[in-house]
Amino acid sequence: MIVIFAILLIFWYILSGYFDLFHIGAGIICCGIVTLISGDLMLRSDRSLIQSGRVFISFILFLPRLMVEILYANLDVAYRILHPKMPIDPDILIVDTKFSGDVLRTAFANAMTLTPGTVTVAVEGGRFTVHALVRSVSEEDLLQNRSIQKRLSRIFGEGP
Amino acid sequence: MYILSPLNILALICIGIGLFFMVVGAVGLIRLPDFYTRAHASGKCDTLGEGMMLIGFILYEGMTLISVKLLLLAIFIFISSPTAVHALVNVAHSRGVKPWKKGDERQ
Repeated sequence: MIVIFAILLIFWYILSGYFDLFHIGAGIICCGIVTLISGDLMLRSDRSLIQSGRVFISFILFLPRLMVEILYANLDVAYRILHPKMPIDPDILIVDTKFSGDVLRTAFANAMTLTPGTVTVAVEGGRFTVHALVRSVSEEDLLQNRSIQKRLSRIFGEGP
Repeated sequence: MYILSPLNILALICIGIGLFFMVVGAVGLIRLPDFYTRAHASGKCDTLGEGMMLIGFILYEGMTLISVKLLLLAIFIFISSPTAVHALVNVAHSRGVKPWKKGDERQ
């Protein structure tokens, strides 16, 4: 609870930028109310603080690699859009994984939406339904090489 | 005469790249054949376009509180934009919108 209160208060001061008595007081009151009402939403009580922090940091470490993938994906989509003949061959694929954590599944779904030619359509358990812009390329990436899955499972320490 | 600093030029380049991707996203909305492929265009190009423009604004602004706010905004967009696209596509899929296949007529 105290950690959430501190995070919210830091966030408040970043957004307000004022440090007089009125704004500090209003910030403490508002953050207190929010912490009381929805404090258990941000951090799960069945996990220790260190575990939550580790998941958060590993997600941050995943971001730079994701940025490169996003840049590549955008250049690919831009090329296919601007190409006069539009070389696209869309299809729906099903990718099975053994991912179990919520954060991990969210990270994988978001990563797939942003990486070349795929949008995550539905998630049921570990099964992801994916719409691919170019079937052959995405089949190779997601079903044979499994590079995103491997990288994520290495970061989060769970089976691909 | 006003002379651009190297940082400002870098900021302008970032904003220019962002604008390019936003325009490509808009072109894609018109050119692509169906709902799903349009979701590709808007989801990917808008995310990177907005991200690059915000990075450009951060470089232009320098180390101030506004930059921190812009950085938070960029992080928020990178999380929320794919989620929004996923929500749209998920509803379309569960309502039975047929995806376009190669060789079909344009919708």
